[in-house]
Amino acid sequence: MTTGRSEVPLRRLPVAQRVSRALLPIYTALVVMYLFLPIAVMIAFSFNDPRGRQNITWQGFTMENYLDVWSRPDITGPMLSSLIVAFVATGVATALGTLIGLALTRYEFRGQGPLNLLIYVPMATPEVILGASLLAMWVTVGVQRGLETIIIAHVMFNISFVVVTVRARIAGFNRSLEEAAMDLGADEWTTFRKITFPLIFPGIMAAALLAFALSIDDYVITSFVAGQTVTFPLWVYGASRFGVPPEVNVLGTLIFVVAFGFIALQILWSRRGRGPATRPIEVES
Amino acid sequence: MLELSTRARGLAAIAVSLVVVTGCGIAGQSPSPAPTPAASPTPAATGTDTASSGPTATPTAAVTPTSEPTPVPTPAGQLDFANWPLYIDIDEESGGYPTLDQFTAESGINVNYVEAINDNEEFFGRIQPDLAAGHSTGWDIIVMTDWMIERMIRLGYLQELDHSMLGNFESNAQPYFANGWFDPGNVYSLPWQSGIVGIGYNPTLTGREITTFDDLLDPEFAGRVGMFSEMRDTMSLALLSIGVVPEEATIADVQAAQAKLLEAAQRGQFRAFYGNDYYDALAAGDVALTIAWSGDVSQMKLYDNPDVEFVVPETGGMLFVDNMAIPANAEHPIDAHMMMDFWYDLQSATTLTEYIGYFSPVNGVRDLVLQHAQEARDDGDSEWADALEVIAETSYPSADQLDNIYTYKILGEEEERQWNDLFNALISG
Amino acid sequence: MARRLRRLTPYLFLLPGGLWLFIFFVLPMLVMASVSLQEGSLGEGFRLTWNFGVYAEVINDWSPQFIRSVLYALIVTGLTLAIGFPIAYTIAFRGGRAKNILLLLVILPFFTAFIIRTLAWKLILADNGFVLGAAKDMGLLAPNFQVLATPLAVVSGLTYNFLPFMILPLYVALEKIDPHLVEAATDLYASRTQAFLRVTLPLAMPGVFAGSLLVFIPTVGDFINAAILGSRDTTMIGNIIQRLFLNTNAYPEASALGFVLMAAVLVLVAIYARAVGARELTVG
Repeated sequence: MTTGRSEVPLRRLPVAQRVSRALLPIYTALVVMYLFLPIAVMIAFSFNDPRGRQNITWQGFTMENYLDVWSRPDITGPMLSSLIVAFVATGVATALGTLIGLALTRYEFRGQGPLNLLIYVPMATPEVILGASLLAMWVTVGVQRGLETIIIAHVMFNISFVVVTVRARIAGFNRSLEEAAMDLGADEWTTFRKITFPLIFPGIMAAALLAFALSIDDYVITSFVAGQTVTFPLWVYGASRFGVPPEVNVLGTLIFVVAFGFIALQILWSRRGRGPATRPIEVES
Repeated sequence: MLELSTRARGLAAIAVSLVVVTGCGIAGQSPSPAPTPAASPTPAATGTDTASSGPTATPTAAVTPTSEPTPVPTPAGQLDFANWPLYIDIDEESGGYPTLDQFTAESGINVNYVEAINDNEEFFGRIQPDLAAGHSTGWDIIVMTDWMIERMIRLGYLQELDHSMLGNFESNAQPYFANGWFDPGNVYSLPWQSGIVGIGYNPTLTGREITTFDDLLDPEFAGRVGMFSEMRDTMSLALLSIGVVPEEATIADVQAAQAKLLEAAQRGQFRAFYGNDYYDALAAGDVALTIAWSGDVSQMKLYDNPDVEFVVPETGGMLFVDNMAIPANAEHPIDAHMMMDFWYDLQSATTLTEYIGYFSPVNGVRDLVLQHAQEARDDGDSEWADALEVIAETSYPSADQLDNIYTYKILGEEEERQWNDLFNALISG
Repeated sequence: MARRLRRLTPYLFLLPGGLWLFIFFVLPMLVMASVSLQEGSLGEGFRLTWNFGVYAEVINDWSPQFIRSVLYALIVTGLTLAIGFPIAYTIAFRGGRAKNILLLLVILPFFTAFIIRTLAWKLILADNGFVLGAAKDMGLLAPNFQVLATPLAVVSGLTYNFLPFMILPLYVALEKIDPHLVEAATDLYASRTQAFLRVTLPLAMPGVFAGSLLVFIPTVGDFINAAILGSRDTTMIGNIIQRLFLNTNAYPEASALGFVLMAAVLVLVAIYARAVGARELTVG
């Protein structure tokens, strides 16, 4: 897609327009700084060397936390659980949600009304209710709570978000492209594979990112269905009442760095020409 | 989206019928009053007599933990122990728990120690469904405050202890803490640590000495006072401040106490009703004075803010005892017994107290801590020696404190609801 | 065969997700509905007494917190829209090749647990922390000025935490707007503002709608921000529900309160959807 930039060079524009042109990028920069402020604080305090339980005043620089954290199974264990849950739940929820999104926006079928309700109501439900109701059901059925029940719960609340995000992309999607492909002899599956899917892929990725972020963050629902398993947010919330050790900041920083690397790689990969979102469509013969 | 087609109406009908069917009280299976004696440790059926309730009357001081009655009940080799955060010694360097490692070395039992408890009621709320349904909660040992122990006993949620396996306890327990009002005879629980609910304050911020509960309501400190979100702690202290002993409080008394606090809350006297996070607030100076737990303030003085002081209000403070207990249907009760008894060994108990600074329920801890202090001083580590001496002081309540502390009232279900309703109205703006 | 498969396709697509939602959402909800109509306590057990009065009771007891939560949620939605729209617009229209990198920058902070971010805000906004403390030392602020434990802190925390929920859907909707449409409008003598209002904004509405929902709904039921950054006077309905469930163990009241909240949200969402003309937005 081309950008909306007009062809007039910047210096030819009147001052007012130049200022307003610069306004948006400046604003964006400011907001990005605002977004990163707590992250910067988190990273900074991962190097703090506090004497007591509190990590709220700067008491000295140390790299030791980065070494210590690996011998703190009480912290790395929950982190691992959170990651496992997030990856699995994201994968499953994205798949299920995308299917539903496709079905809802592209096909006519009976029961669309109730189905819409089924999708929207979980999002309108307070997490406390979602969590407590699941717990009640598990106990009735006699299922021991743990990693599996957490994953199940996370998939459940993520499906709705995936559907909503994917639909915003699919709605208004230009069907004529698909029709053109089929006129040219492609069958439904090929059309989907080569036309539809690449074009809605950004929406799917956005949904997956959202699902991952939701899952790794979740405290409330997880606290109900976790049983003995402790995920990272559970541990941090509990520890926060006594004093969060800097090792928590270390893990937060590491996650941040890994997520950064992962997404950066994805961008580079798509830049190199395999990704669909940044290039015009090519219809392969 | 909100129009109901015929099909949806049919679905709704099915839904309603499901509601009725599930209405057989799923969330609150009423537990029969006495399932627990039958649920006592199954391996114990190999001979040890556990059917009798109450402590073994015969002096078992001669029974050391390593010599077990024949036939030997065998531990499973695994233990799941839920506790509060920072309630055990930690090796800062390695992140391990030295006493637990020692226990594993001695007994061969692997301990899965999780700091899963942040609030008595919250934790209880999470394990209650399992207990009500007769399932294992996944925990073998939990640490709950005395009033919660009383409640769990009443609900039949705890296992009876086999005191023949608890030799250390029999010989080393402090009489003051053992045999508590909430569990006479220690049928279901052993004290873990104890402390006082009083007032913690920072003299440099308050500008004066704080002596009693009403200081918390002094308009001079508006917006810089902390209260507890723990209903019993706050309400009991308030009751004492209007001259009512908590154990004898009537509902009218509670209403009066609540009204007193509500008036202050509505004029913005309290910064917040804290849980354990009051510690942060006091250490950082967000609050100048707050309800506090004695051991926390000792730790804060040593590590986070040397200015703070702890005081038992003139009108009275509350004594709390946190206890180890075995939930009903626990999977590894024998291992649990061995762990519990381990904590009554003098060495383990001393290490624990030196680390967390609360009252120890074990005899001889204070002297041993003082001995360690002396050794540290001899070694030239005067900072640690000073710290140890402070800890020795706070390892047992002083005579003054003992005079002025009270215990919680036992609340039945109906009464608890009334107290809770009043309290919830107080803490929600 | 192919035709039959074709007709079945939507149902096949719907089946896995729909089934998942039915088993793990609808069924537990029914259980909860039943619980709300019960009476009793943990010790005595609960019995289904069809006590519909509990709904009136909880609305009566907790309406201030309800109203407060809705108010906060509306403010937060407005703020995230105001803050997020220019960002999404910039990235979608002015991003060019840096589009993906910018998007990455915007959502990256939210890959850390929000509990850590909220605690970081608590540190940043501390009464005598490096921001407020420095300002006070310089005499810019009164010594007893505080942000924490005020509604401002809670709303700020909520806004920060839910910003990406607004930015992402907005971006997704804006990104697929064909810029030639805007060019065509300006070719037809529309000013830039007019082109924006008449072309870009309406086409972005699906994103606005989705974003508003994604922000409003979880915000109204949130309790973590209020718990960490707030005080007694900022108690939200989520705090009440959580306390009733987990501390007081008043399951019927808590369940009833939860359903009332759900109902209120659904009504508000329906009104909003009607206003925005969502029929066209959500039906493909």
